[in-house]
Amino acid sequence: MKHLLKFFLWCIFVLMNIFFFWGASFLIQNAYYELGIVFFVLLFLIDFFIFNPRAYPYRYIAPALALLFILVLYPIYFTVKVAFTNYGTGHYMPRQEAIERLLYDPNYTYIIEEDLDSNYKIFVIYDGINPTEDFIIVFNLDGKPFLAEKPTPIRRKGKEILLSESFLYPINSEYVQMNNRTYHLVPWTGELQDLKIITIEDKAYKAFYSPKDEFLQVNSPFFKSRIAQQYLYRADFVDQQGNRYALRISSAGEWHFAKIERLYRLGYDESFENGKIGLKMTIYNNKTGNKVTEKDGAFYDTNENGESVFLLGFIDYVGSKNFLRIVKDPKVSGPFLQIFLWTFLWALLSVVLSLAVGLPFALILNDKNVKGRNLYRTLLIIPWAIPVFISALVWRNGLLNESYGLINKFLLPLFGLNPIRWMNDAFWARVGVLLVNIWLTFPYMMTISLGALQGIPPELYEVAMIDGAGRFKRFTAITFPFIMAVIAPLLVSSFAFSFNNFTIIYLITAGGPPIPGSTTPTGYTDILISYVYKLAFEAGRGQDFGFASAISIMIFFLVGGISFLNFKFSGAFEEVGR
Amino acid sequence: MRRFLLLVLVLSTVFVFAQSKLVIWCSEKQVDILQKLAEEFKAKYGVVVEVQYVNFSDIKPKFLTAAPEGQGADIIVGAHDWVGELVVNGLIDPIPSFPELNQFYETGLSAFSYGGKLYGLPYALEAIALIYNKEFVPNPPKTVDEMIQIAKQIDQEFGKEVRGFITSTTEFYYAVPFILGAGGYVFKETAKGLDPKDIGLANEGAVKGVNIIKRFVDEKVLDPSDNYQIMDSMFKEGKAAMIINGPWATKAYKDAGIDYGVAVIPNVDANLVAKPFVGVQGFMVNAKSPNKLLAKEFLTNFIARTDTMYRLYLGDPRLPARKDVLELVRDNPDVVAFTQSAANGVPMPNIPQMAAVWGAMNDALNLVVNGKATTQEALTTAVERIKTQTQ
Repeated sequence: MKHLLKFFLWCIFVLMNIFFFWGASFLIQNAYYELGIVFFVLLFLIDFFIFNPRAYPYRYIAPALALLFILVLYPIYFTVKVAFTNYGTGHYMPRQEAIERLLYDPNYTYIIEEDLDSNYKIFVIYDGINPTEDFIIVFNLDGKPFLAEKPTPIRRKGKEILLSESFLYPINSEYVQMNNRTYHLVPWTGELQDLKIITIEDKAYKAFYSPKDEFLQVNSPFFKSRIAQQYLYRADFVDQQGNRYALRISSAGEWHFAKIERLYRLGYDESFENGKIGLKMTIYNNKTGNKVTEKDGAFYDTNENGESVFLLGFIDYVGSKNFLRIVKDPKVSGPFLQIFLWTFLWALLSVVLSLAVGLPFALILNDKNVKGRNLYRTLLIIPWAIPVFISALVWRNGLLNESYGLINKFLLPLFGLNPIRWMNDAFWARVGVLLVNIWLTFPYMMTISLGALQGIPPELYEVAMIDGAGRFKRFTAITFPFIMAVIAPLLVSSFAFSFNNFTIIYLITAGGPPIPGSTTPTGYTDILISYVYKLAFEAGRGQDFGFASAISIMIFFLVGGISFLNFKFSGAFEEVGR
Repeated sequence: MRRFLLLVLVLSTVFVFAQSKLVIWCSEKQVDILQKLAEEFKAKYGVVVEVQYVNFSDIKPKFLTAAPEGQGADIIVGAHDWVGELVVNGLIDPIPSFPELNQFYETGLSAFSYGGKLYGLPYALEAIALIYNKEFVPNPPKTVDEMIQIAKQIDQEFGKEVRGFITSTTEFYYAVPFILGAGGYVFKETAKGLDPKDIGLANEGAVKGVNIIKRFVDEKVLDPSDNYQIMDSMFKEGKAAMIINGPWATKAYKDAGIDYGVAVIPNVDANLVAKPFVGVQGFMVNAKSPNKLLAKEFLTNFIARTDTMYRLYLGDPRLPARKDVLELVRDNPDVVAFTQSAANGVPMPNIPQMAAVWGAMNDALNLVVNGKATTQEALTTAVERIKTQTQ
């Protein structure tokens, strides 16, 4: 039995090793070097802890360490890194990738001769009756025959092939000499459709596909899915004069070869800096000869009218620009104070009011004379147990809706009151979101208060009663201070949580009602985090991860600072420590 | 130990050399038909096509996350107003021209074009129209005045238990037919595409259009709190006489046993026709897919075919984007009415700046119908807000 357990544990250990090793190599292959290295370091540390007897105690903290790295430290590092970039809509790829795309992507080429008379024929080696992917091509370009081998990659990026090339050898007779090999064309009449077999040494390439040969059309799917997609899509065929031919889909939908030229090339630009002449890498447009300019993290080309045309954006380091925008941009800083005050009020009221509701319930439930306490307790915890998404939607559509909500339709008319405009009146919208939040958080307050109440020694109450203290005095002098000592740190964290409680605000009012005359997407119930969300993800410029990261770092310091002051003044830590 | 290393090696190679296949992300309605097409494609080309069901609203966010890393689907099925953002991010590839392209409606093609290139293969058009319950409204109204009259009559007769007219009051999308119909425009149409600097949402026409919504509210026909869910569920329960909704909703009304009719949205006044936004659904190709040629082949040679488009229509009865397919379904009165509505309409702008318009205009409508600002004030602020956000 003991051996079995040990075997089982070793199995888990081996599996974990495999997982980490696979994860690390997978990440590094996909260019996530930092995270991949973290995985390798973790793997090394865990193995070290397990195999080295002296590191024995550490093996117990290893899982926590691993999770800390992956789930806390890495996201923080990533957020900080992104905060200094322009990562967002229009800036989605690394600069290197943008350059590679401009230089090698088939979309950035242009066709030189529109009406080039071209034809080609693919010859493959068969394995039994199955075609293989070993092929050569015979071309007829403007009436001249050429032979080319399978293209070989010349630019790679990781596993990906950016560009491959093959040379076009003119065919003058039935023997074609190329790369020290002699190909024998049988039979050679000068016409593509007559050519059946090409032999070299002991291999024979058989005619497989030609777009104009009806007899070979059956092979079209194999040609398109295997040969064209994998080997011809990013391939250039170069003749002796340096002309390039590549596979393109014509406007008639045919896959033919066209004479092409790359739209962009890399050039070097002399620049004069600090009294020295240096060479700077620049991209030029081959067609117009214009220089591709780089502005605000994007490449721009100039068209014939002299206007700049957006080409590709890339992720660029922008320094403290995102942070400065928080301060300088009137769009952000303008409504900031108003929103900040409401956020503060919202967090404070959420905590105080839900405690004010939860504590009395706790006091009642703590009274041993109350019958059916367990039942009440279960019922009162329900709001806490229902997923927020559901209860928020129930509140918004079922209770607070202005014409069909239960409150406006049944409850208020019962007392002869006018319906309340929950969604469209600034004051009532704020009351509404607070109401929902109190309803959602009072069970939490009740539960922690109940726990704290258990810890009060009953002798204290006896002593107080002997001294003649009444119910109220006993509450203010004994119960409340005792409870606060225990729950104050929890209240502070609850405050911090409410401060960033995006879900409730977004699901109930989405920040509305709008503030009249505001040129930013601001509403009366917007708290900082929902306002930032609107600015970073719903404003006109799409997603702006850089700005969102910068502002979330700022909110972190804000909440951290407020919480620190709270702890300091409430003396929460000292009480707990004692 | 050596065996262990071997195992690791085998595991990692299996992952690296996974077989290439085409992956399609589409929403619920296209899954079945695409799966059948995938079988046909596999039989012919020997390439596996995997059709994955993704919630419509998740396709774009998921694609935006996955595609830059070289992951994600080779083909996505989505709306034309994603095109601007996806192109600017370099995530989708142009679709090559093919012979049958002229069979497609110009509206669909121009909606999927960006910077002069086609970035998606359209398959369905949609525009909102007036949907009415024949039990209450035998003949659909032709003008807004008639509509208010009929709605009031029904409201009085049933004491608000049945609503004469209901729509999503503070949603820009549902107010667009009146705003654009009265002469407003979102972005000025120029020879080089839409000009994001010229916004016509605070001009005379736009004010007139928004005032129609305000009039509905002032005359107690609409309520500021009416929204899509209320409209949809009331019509399904037979408690609403007239609504404004799109072709995506009609199937549910038919299933609920409502005897409904579809008509064009009533004219703004005698000679101004209501102009709804036209949305287009289509197929787009991932720019970083390793199977781009095949993906394009699949779209131009399989999806674009008449019979495929017809089957797509059967699974998702929106207006077909191909002319000959629309001819096939002419006998469906809903299709005819929605087609007419779409023919009056304007393609929803597909440039990324459009994102700022929704929030700003929804807020403006909200302020107007709640009497917090005059129409002119609210619209001027909204346009200013769009301008500061898009710069």
